[in-house]
This record gives sequence, structure tokens and C-alpha cells, in this order.
Amino acid sequence: MKKQLVNMTVNGEEVELAVYPNTTLLEMLRVELGLMGVKEGCSEGVCGTCTVLLNGQPVRSCLTLALEAEGSEILTIEGLTPEDGLHPVQQAFIDRGAVQCGFCTPGMILSSKALLDRNPNPSEDDIKTALSGSFCRCTGYTKILDAVKAAAAAHVDPSDG
Amino acid sequence: MRLSVHERLEDLILAEEGYTLVGKSIPRIDARSKVTGEAVFTADLELPRMLAGKVLRSPYPHARIVNIDTSRAKKLRGVYAVVTGQDTAGEKWGVFRYTRDQQLLCVDKVRYVGDEVAAVAAANDDVAQEALSLIQVEYEELPGVFDCWSSIAPDAPLIHDEFPRNVNVEVKIDVGDVEAAFKKCALVREDTFVAEEDSYFMTEPYAVVANSHADGSVEVWMPNASPHTKAKALSNALRIPLSKVNVRKITIGGAFGGRSDVFPAEFITCLLTLRTGRPVKLIYTREENSIATRKGHAMITTHKTGVDNEGRVLARDTVSYLDGGAYSSTGPIATSVPFLCHEQTYRLPNVRFTGYRIYTNKPIAGMIRIHGRSFACGVDTQLDMIAEELGIDPVTIRLRNARQPGETTPTGSHVASCGLTECIEKTAKESNFLEKFKNHQPGRGIGMGINSVQTGFPLGIRGGSQAFIKFHEDGGATVNSGVVDNGQGNDHMLVQIAAEELGLGVEDVRLISADTEITATDAGSYSMISTFAGGNAVKRAAEDAKMQLFEIASDILEADPSDLVARDKKIFVKGAPDVGVSIAKVVRKGLIMGRPIMGKGAFNPDVDQRREWITNPKGQLSQAFSFGATVTEVEVDTDTGMVKAETVTCAQDCGFAVNPMIVEGQFEGGVAMGGQGGMLGEEHRWHKGYCLNPSMLEYKMPTIADMPRINSIIVESIDPVGPYGAKEAGMSIAMSAAQAYCCAVGHALGIYFNHYPLTSERVLDAIENKKEGIQTAWDFPPARFIELEKKE
Repeated sequence: MKKQLVNMTVNGEEVELAVYPNTTLLEMLRVELGLMGVKEGCSEGVCGTCTVLLNGQPVRSCLTLALEAEGSEILTIEGLTPEDGLHPVQQAFIDRGAVQCGFCTPGMILSSKALLDRNPNPSEDDIKTALSGSFCRCTGYTKILDAVKAAAAAHVDPSDG
Repeated sequence: MRLSVHERLEDLILAEEGYTLVGKSIPRIDARSKVTGEAVFTADLELPRMLAGKVLRSPYPHARIVNIDTSRAKKLRGVYAVVTGQDTAGEKWGVFRYTRDQQLLCVDKVRYVGDEVAAVAAANDDVAQEALSLIQVEYEELPGVFDCWSSIAPDAPLIHDEFPRNVNVEVKIDVGDVEAAFKKCALVREDTFVAEEDSYFMTEPYAVVANSHADGSVEVWMPNASPHTKAKALSNALRIPLSKVNVRKITIGGAFGGRSDVFPAEFITCLLTLRTGRPVKLIYTREENSIATRKGHAMITTHKTGVDNEGRVLARDTVSYLDGGAYSSTGPIATSVPFLCHEQTYRLPNVRFTGYRIYTNKPIAGMIRIHGRSFACGVDTQLDMIAEELGIDPVTIRLRNARQPGETTPTGSHVASCGLTECIEKTAKESNFLEKFKNHQPGRGIGMGINSVQTGFPLGIRGGSQAFIKFHEDGGATVNSGVVDNGQGNDHMLVQIAAEELGLGVEDVRLISADTEITATDAGSYSMISTFAGGNAVKRAAEDAKMQLFEIASDILEADPSDLVARDKKIFVKGAPDVGVSIAKVVRKGLIMGRPIMGKGAFNPDVDQRREWITNPKGQLSQAFSFGATVTEVEVDTDTGMVKAETVTCAQDCGFAVNPMIVEGQFEGGVAMGGQGGMLGEEHRWHKGYCLNPSMLEYKMPTIADMPRINSIIVESIDPVGPYGAKEAGMSIAMSAAQAYCCAVGHALGIYFNHYPLTSERVLDAIENKKEGIQTAWDFPPARFIELEKKE
């Protein structure tokens, strides 16, 4: 198997890498770029810990080939964190006690961000649907739900009507 | 003198007024590194020249190893080491000296599908995988046994030659006179309850990184519940001094009982780094995490219970069979704990428990968060059956039998603090239990479970917890503790307590923990002990440091040290906060005077050290016990058998909530794992020893969309010894949630369920074959005494 070049934007930075055709996006992000906030929990697209945003949409990086991401924009948890402070979803997860062991947290936060970007005022069911692709074994999800609601409330500008 | 609940509450309110940090919902100190992805888990570690480790596992449930040929694997380019049982002298692991039955790499036999046979270290995962395929193992297949009944059959093949009838552990407890008491009972009934294996599925798969050094030492990182236990076991197995095994701190992605034991993985990874002189990383696949770490026990429990005409239990005789899998693991503990939780929860004047842990050719069973589903759910289901026969409601019968403070359990543990009655009353009131129970709507049900857990028991390592505190010139402090954080928030708990005592903010306190070289000793974060022991040790270290600060400050403030207070980074005379001196200044003065502030503290729970799981199961087991009650409301679709949980109301006497937000998080997680998952869907399925659902796809765990509304009620009995009165958070909810879900589904359908979890197939089967009268849904053969030949 020969390596092939792939180009994409990862966390705002253009990268060109040589990868094998069977290299997953997860492997590329972790091994080649050292983005260890992308977790590997099940390797079969079930647990949601490897979730990253591809052109704003949550994808399971363990089931996405690096070559499939050619030309796309990838956002990982490292890229979500602003230079100063935290993204409102990150802050809400801290304030609402939505973080326990933390292994599912990056995927949960990225899925929540994608939801709020496309639907700034989601219903409880909208949140549950958006996060149903991620397992959390610690929290029972109650405080994760609270956190996303709180982030949405903080996000929505009342003047938007 | 024992205080009434009302007086305790007043006491609590007074106490809370005096606290600045404990009792408050402060965000966790580790949350920031977890929301940014900075937190480093074991698989995230990268070291120069690191090799990839992989394990070759048995494809057979039971087979003799005839020959292992590693020559082709060793020749493969990029392979640096291949190890087998021949490299380990058959070194065995067991939690206790008398349970050392697991070879860390199999030498003569394999006993389950997944048993470790060989391992490689190679340049990368692909080469390691190819090397495994080149190892040729010749097996001679042996007949296997895959459930308790076939395993104890007189003609069954023996899994370990020295254990007749495959009985690995036998626990016998007999208190009072059970037979005589049964004769005095108004009602006696016997029912049998069966539960399949549940599993942890912590989101982080198991992983180990080990690195050897020229001085002969080894550094090891892995998810663990006790770094010191791991270090001790590795020191023994590798035959290198304890001082040369350094287990390091690492972020841990969940445990739930599944990281307490020692696994061949860490031994193998150490062996590979010692062989190659290079760091080695072994990451388990999800399937390996399921079959080759631990899982819960399948369990058959027969409860024979006798009551007086008011439903008070006068006698109970229980026999349990636990399917232990291939090796002992925590067997003596695992066999005892379902009973011990039960004897803490309910008053039992006469009780007999006979527990058998039985070897089978299946993966190894260990302790899990909802340990003993068939036992606990059986107790509460049977209590509901008795209540119906006697015309009593489920709340009243539980209140009549509930443990009270000041009592002693049948095996001799004094219960100093107990808010169980308050938990039952509050959950019943909040959920409007009695009205919903009596005005029963078809397909809708409400059920209550109650339970109790320990705050610590010995697991091969004793000695409580120690802590040190040092100060920095800016007035900040560093806490040094051996307590490990599996994700539940132990790191934060230690810091919140230290900051409270020292008058600092949590941001002023740094923490070094869970490193066997650098930190103080601690028994480990299993058995719900960390707040009780580790928290107390840090509190005492902080009190010691504070007294040193006060002695120096007393000169500056010209006041008696006993009149001083530390708060808001200052030390001042009580009632005069405006004329204080900063802690930073006191610290610097101490340095100039040659009296640096160095606090130390230790806490060792006051338990009966003579107590032993099998040979002497009596005496004080744990110094404090938590108690919980859960009420679940469900709706059952009788066409599909699907259960929808709508509302869960749970209350736990956690002693004192050091951080209510974290305590609630433990309750909610407990409801998800114990009730929603544990009772409605989670079970492993098997075919002749092969696990059919080791993955997250087929093992059915709850997602966010499945979860009901959860109302959490914190009950605080203020334990006399726990730090600020704290005991433990969440475990008695996890257990009672399973019972509550079970009883609620039963109430919805008028069926007493006795096979768990309540999957839609089982629910439908019970509906279709519904029995008349007060009977369990299915007839199972009862678990009975096993006649064993006396060991020589």
C-alpha cells in the first residue's frame, strides 16, 4: 500500500499529509497531528467519543477515512477552544457539572456545538436527538442536557426574537 | 445520645453556616482540562521509541496448551519481543494469597475465550498484529462448562483441579436461629431470582503504557482504582522491588468496579518493556476490554423469607450461586457483598447466607456497581409479594424492616449514622407513591428499591490513607494524596476539603495524587472509601498545616492560636476579619524562622482487622454505611414489551454532601447504569463460552434519549466520623435503582419478575404466560447447599 497526499484545514490550519488509503481520520488526527482530544472508544462508530466536525457536521472520525476528508474543514475539541477563555458550551459543561471522567466530553461538546450552530434554540428533544450518538457512562446525561440548555440560553440573543 | 433527624438537621444548618466551600456546588477542578481535550488518558501518552504491544488470546473456552512456536513471529521485521508463559515461570495473580489461580500468561491450560497466551512488542500496531498471526499454538481442546448448574454437576470437567465441583469460593454466614424463627412466622415463602451478567463499558478502553529504565525501575500508566495495589502486584509478579515499580497518575475514563483488580495486561506490558528496553503501549480493543478485564457475575439467588403478620422479617435463608468465570478475581468479596449490602439495609434477627462462587469457562467476573442484581431485586420483589399477601403497601413494609441508626448488623457492624427511613419517606412523598400505587392504571407502574453500601473494605491492601500539604510563598498550597480519581471527582473532593480547612480558594490549591513513587499511601478508590478515608486524611493534614500557620500568626496578631480563623486567604481573630494577616505573609515568616508549613494527616477506618471474608465474616466491616431509596415510574407497552421509564425519584443518605452538584451527578449516573441500563437492557449473551455482544453496538446501554427525569434528594445524617459527616455518594442509588425499576415494571403488569434484566423479550414472555396468584413470573430450580468434600 502506498501513501497518498491529502489536504484539508484542521482547526483553521491548512495541512498536507501523506496517509495510507486505509488510514482513518481518527488515526490521522491523533497520530499525525497529535490531537489527542479526539478519543477512540469503540472503533466501530457507536460510542461517539471520536466525534469531530467536518464542514460543521459531526462525523465519527473512526469510520471516516482521512482521504474522504480531502478539501474539508475539520474542527476538533482543540480547535474549538478560543485563545482566551472557553466556548460557551465548554463553559456550560464545567458550570453545570456535566463532566465526570471526561472521556466522552470532547465528542459531546462538539455534537452540542454543531446542534447550536444550526438550531440556536433547541427543544429538549432536539438536544436528545443530537446527542444520542454519544455514550456517557458516568453522568446519566442529566447534567449534560442541563449544560446544553444553559449554553443555548446564553447563546440566544433575546433581541433576535 | 442519638440525635433525632430534626436535631441533626439543625446541627447541619449550624455547621453549614460555618463552611465557606464544603457543602457548595463548586465546578470541578479537572473539568477545564477535560472540556478542552488537554486531559491525558493512557492511550494519549507518547514516549520516544515507543513500541506497540498486542496480546494473543485463546480461541477456545477450555484447552490444554500442547506447544507454542514463536520462531516465525520473532523473525518478522519490526518485532522486538515475543513472550509466552515460558517467560514468566507461571507467575499467578489473585487478590488474596489463597485465591492466586490466574497465570499472567497461560502455561498449561487456557480456561476462557480470551485467556492470555502470548504477547508481542513491535514497531507499530500492524506489525504487532501480523506477528500474532505467526505465533503457532497447538491446543488440545477440553470439554467446557458455561453455567453454574452444569459446572457443579458431579461429572463436570474441573476447570482448576484443586477445586471440587468447580466451587471457587464458599461463604457461610449463620446468625440467630433461622429454623426456629421460621416456625414462628405468620408467612414464609421461597422464591428464586436469576440475573445475567452485566458489564461496565466505561467509555475508555483499557490501556497500559510501561517504560523501563537503566536502574531497573519501571514506570507504568493505566486506568486503575488503586495505584498502590497495582504496584505491589507488579513488584511480586515481576520479582523486582516495590521501590522500582512506579505507577504514575493519569486521567481515567471510568471504572464502576472494573478497574479495581490487577490484569495480565500490565504485567505483560512491563515484561515487554523490560525485554526491549523501550516504552511499550498496549491498548485494548473494545472487545478485549469486555472479555479480558472483568464483567459482572451472573447470579442465581433463592430467598426463603419468613415474616410476622405485620410484614416484619423474622428469618431469611438465602443461597446464591455466582458465575465467576475462569478465575478468582475478587471472588470472596464478590460473593459476600450482595449479602452485606442487604444486611445493612434491612433488619434481620435471624439470617443464613450461603454463597457459592462457581468457576465456568467464561471471562472473569468481578465487582460491579450494581453488584448482585438477583439478590437485591429478589429481596425487594419478594417483599412486595409478601406485602400483597398481607395487604400492606410497599412503603410500609420497607419502613417496618428498615435499618435504624445505632443498630448492629447481623455480622456485627455498628451503624453509627443512618438516614434510610428519611430516604424512604422523602422519595415516597415526592413521588406521591401510595396514591399512584393504589390507583393503578393499566400498563403504568411505580416501584421502590432500597439499599446500602459500605465506605471501604479491605482488598488485599490495608492501611487507610495518608496526606501531606506544603505551602508556597504566594500562600497557595499543594496537597499530596494517594487517592486516585476514576472520574467520579475524587481530585476535586480532596482540593475542596483542603481549601475549606486552609481558608483558601480551590484555585489556590494544587494537587499531586495517585503516584506510587511521589504520593502518600492510599488503599485505593474502590469500595466507596475515598471521601471517608482519603478525605479525612487530607482534612487532618490541612488541620495540621493550619495549626502551624496559627502558631506563627499568633505572634503577628498577638492572639492565642485557638482564637484564630483561616478564611479568604487570611488569618484573623474570630469575629475580627478586618485585622488579619495574609496566609502568604505567615508562610514567608515561617520560612524565615526555619519553620516551613508542612501538614501531615492520616486516617485509618476503625474496622475489625480480624474480619475475613471466608474464615471470619464477623466484626465491624466498614466504619460507615450509606443508604438510599429510589422510586421509579414506568409505562409498559404490552404489545412490544418495551418499558419507558418516565420519572425517577431518588434519595440517598450520603452523610454530608461535600459538593451537592457532584453528589447529584453520582445519583444520576447511578440511575442510568443501575436502573435504566441495569434493569432494562444490559446483559451479556453467550454461546458456549463465546461472548456474543462484547461491543457497544450489541450490548444495550442507555443513551441520552432513553433517560427519564431524575429528581435527586440529598439526605444528610452527618456521620460522626466522615469528613464533615460525609460517607459516600451514589452507590446505594445505583443499586436501589435496579430494584425500583424491577418493582415498577412488576407493578405495571401485575407480574413479579424474577429474571433480569427485563428486556422486552422477557417482559412479553411474562405477559403471555402470566400466572394466577402471587407467584414469580418463571419457575427456576432453587439454589441449594452444595455438598463438598472437606479439603485435606
